[in-house]
Amino acid sequence: MADILHRPRLSRRGFLRGVLGGAAVSIALPWLETLAGKQALAQGSFPTRFGLFFWGNGMRPDAWVPTGEGSGDAWQLSELLQPLAPVKDRISVVSGTALKVPNSIPHHAGTAGVLTGMPLWVKSHEDQTMNGPTIDQAIAAEIGGETRFRSLEVALYPNRHIISFNGPDNANPPETSPAALFERLFGPEFRAPGEESAVDPKLALRRSVLDAVAGDIDRFQRGLSVADRARLDQHLTGVRELERRIQRLEADPPQLDACSRPVAPDSEFEYVDGRPPLPEKSRVMTDLAVMALACDQSRVFSYQVNSPVQNLLLAGSDQGFHNLTHDEPEPQPQVRRIVTEIMAQYAYMVQRLSEVEEGDGSLLDHMALLATSDISYGRIHSLDEFPIVIAGSANGRLKTGVHYRSPFAENTSKVMLTLQRACGLNAGSWGAEGGYVEDGLGAIEA
Amino acid sequence: MFRLLLAATALGAVLVGCAADEITAEPPVEPPADPATAEFEPRPPPIPRLTGAQYARSISAVFGDDIVVPPSPEPDVREGGLLAVGAGVSTLSPRGVENFERAAYAIAGQVLDTERRARHLPCDAAEVDRSCVEAFVAIHGRRLWRRPLTPDEVVAIADLANAAGETLGDAVGGLEFGLAALLQSPNFLFRREVGEPDPEDTSRRRFTDYEMASRLSFLLWNVTPDDALLDAAEAGELTTDAGLRAHAERMYADPRAREGVLRIFVEWLGLDDLDALNKDTAVFTAMSPEVGPAARAETIAVIEDLVFTRDADFRGFITARETFVDRKLAALYGVRAPARDGFARVELPPESGRRGFLGQVSFLALNSHPTSTSATLRGKFVREKLLCQIVPPPPSGVDTSIPEPSGTTRTLRERVAEHLTNPACKGCHVLTDNIGLAFETFDGLGVARTTDNGAPIDPTGDLDGLRFADADGLADLIAADPGFGFCVARHVFRYGTGTLDESDQETLVQTLADRFAADGHRFGGLLFDFILSPAFREAGAIEEGA
Repeated sequence: MADILHRPRLSRRGFLRGVLGGAAVSIALPWLETLAGKQALAQGSFPTRFGLFFWGNGMRPDAWVPTGEGSGDAWQLSELLQPLAPVKDRISVVSGTALKVPNSIPHHAGTAGVLTGMPLWVKSHEDQTMNGPTIDQAIAAEIGGETRFRSLEVALYPNRHIISFNGPDNANPPETSPAALFERLFGPEFRAPGEESAVDPKLALRRSVLDAVAGDIDRFQRGLSVADRARLDQHLTGVRELERRIQRLEADPPQLDACSRPVAPDSEFEYVDGRPPLPEKSRVMTDLAVMALACDQSRVFSYQVNSPVQNLLLAGSDQGFHNLTHDEPEPQPQVRRIVTEIMAQYAYMVQRLSEVEEGDGSLLDHMALLATSDISYGRIHSLDEFPIVIAGSANGRLKTGVHYRSPFAENTSKVMLTLQRACGLNAGSWGAEGGYVEDGLGAIEA
Repeated sequence: MFRLLLAATALGAVLVGCAADEITAEPPVEPPADPATAEFEPRPPPIPRLTGAQYARSISAVFGDDIVVPPSPEPDVREGGLLAVGAGVSTLSPRGVENFERAAYAIAGQVLDTERRARHLPCDAAEVDRSCVEAFVAIHGRRLWRRPLTPDEVVAIADLANAAGETLGDAVGGLEFGLAALLQSPNFLFRREVGEPDPEDTSRRRFTDYEMASRLSFLLWNVTPDDALLDAAEAGELTTDAGLRAHAERMYADPRAREGVLRIFVEWLGLDDLDALNKDTAVFTAMSPEVGPAARAETIAVIEDLVFTRDADFRGFITARETFVDRKLAALYGVRAPARDGFARVELPPESGRRGFLGQVSFLALNSHPTSTSATLRGKFVREKLLCQIVPPPPSGVDTSIPEPSGTTRTLRERVAEHLTNPACKGCHVLTDNIGLAFETFDGLGVARTTDNGAPIDPTGDLDGLRFADADGLADLIAADPGFGFCVARHVFRYGTGTLDESDQETLVQTLADRFAADGHRFGGLLFDFILSPAFREAGAIEEGA
């Protein structure tokens, strides 16, 4: 169990030590912000970032919903949200909203409903997909263009049900290996601020190869169906993005105070006796994701703890998590413990983000980090009383330290629309059919 | 004929809402029609993306086994449980494009390193001139793109390679960029098989010779075509009945067919999941990381023996008392261990109750929970994967919990009694649990047992009204069910066309199934019937749309 409740607030040096896995390394930190970085950063303002923290199999509303409403001391954290006590003033809890999409396929309809605002596309009883982009990709389409990675997808122990989609059948597979995530973010191509820059001539050659591939895609897709042309368009998008990414490597890295090259993780956190070491892996993957944001490698990420329906056998449980949500007798102490543990991982992420100094504030102040799941009450696959926690004020656009309880089961899509607007999107609406909304949730807007 | 079809449709029936109480079989009608001349309306063909295995195997086939191919640049997608179908809808994410780029340079670097370059260059490494570059692109491009490159395509890639060679001052180093362009092209990563007007009947479209080379090679070998097959395509042999049969026979007799054809079964039965079998070792003391892969190897060995070695009645997959075990599985099954490392044939004793695929760890462990069995998952697998029926998911808003074992309800049968009597659950759970409870004599890993929480297990039940005493008896009923043969034929169709059959295509699937049954359920016969049928050779017209 993560000892988040008793973790002292870490200094930036402490933070780096954490990332470095306790290795005794001395780091010369560039204490003064140089103004040679990205324009937005150089102007002393910081771009708004978005994160999605997602777990599968829901919670228990009776142990989830905080008592009291409003801000400050007017409300108290619930049992399952206890790990968030050290950061209570940095988060908002929205309770009482509901997904208004058909609950066609338990679990998966909820994932689609909360993340796309649309009904799940049910092709057959065993094949379903999203009808549109998930919220992380809707936001990345607007704010992801300036960084090396348009978005990052990280998952701990997912099954095939992953959560980030650009559109139907068009998923963004997450990185699940700490070593691979490290290599992708901080491998040989990465240059930390101040590191020697010698532009490799091979970078330009790689771009010319990609340009040729783009031409191939254009010719290849002629005469194909609309659906197949869309698939090839996605290929083309990826190729063009990679060209831009290489171009960025040819330029100097942004000068960011909190950014430094971490050391590679030394474990893949494989299962031990059939059980995944989830908290341990989560902390390492969180550290890498947070440093990726601190280095402005990406401004959007999704972080998936587990998958809907997935039956992970977690520490201290006598059945898989999904089985427990359905079969564990009341009052379901194991389910409560697991959800609390997951929220402890969320709290760890919030805390880490709050420790990255940016200007007068922290990275957390410049982002919105949504935590949600595929369902609320697991035992009956409920889509009412949907779990929503938001951390960070998105550059002052969101209230924090608030519990808002919807008095009449408002559409959860309203929260999603508010988050997009808080991230700078000029979004007029979100979702489709029952999930369609044009209004955000004013109660959490600053 | 029409009446027969109606009956057939009822057999492969969709159990909508689980309301069907009983399914009655019609007597078979003979002689079965030839699938090659069956009525068939082709659909627009899918454009599959190479699966991870096809990508890696193609690199090995073209450049040699000693090339290290980076693992799965992009995850495969399943549809209807099959990667072969999911390949037709899957896209490439930005991360996938990035991984394929990295893989391309890793491969190109190895192909052209100082040790290997002589093997792959059409000229001396010291004399890489323009004609050598063009020849290199043309030779390897033909294998990778599964067709000859046009002169323009050769020139474009040779230009890239030459320019890179000049920048780097290293002509062979420049070729790496040309090869990387071949490897990242959609012409390699996607299979563009769209057909052409059939010269004998221009109202229909057939797959071209090169497209047939690709289709045959991926179906039978799961890899890019070899030079012999591309030569046959160039000679126009693969659009003729005789040429197609001859090449299919040549390939089926080749050892590579074992890997390719067995993939059909791996995907149909979901055997890939055995590589990540997740069980509580405190509950299942026989569990270890070797069990899943060993179980997968057992199932594959049984099928290989049935299909390739003996060309026997495929229903033996369900009913055989023979299987193949290594030491791990022998201990788990309680049979004598092989004298040597590896797998050996054993006869399971009749009193073991263990018989055919449904007695294997593959089935029993995959369709269980991490700490317990599941009658529902096991029954659902039999209905859906072996009999091709549909069991809908549970309705939402329903408490699906199973009570904990107690003094009065000890066995799983007693604990799920509510599911089998409550009208809201009964419709579907009768379908799944009545079958699944037969396997309660095997625990969640597949070890035989006689009691559950100390109480004796009752494995009796019925399959759509036909009584059975235990899993052994159930195996006979499943093997005798016409739905089983139909289901095998349907999976061959789905795998081989890369599409899920629509209702109007069921005619052809049923024709294949009828011949399969009349032919003694020989799998090779079914596969050849499929290859020579219009389903494998004809393409529907593509509507380009707006």
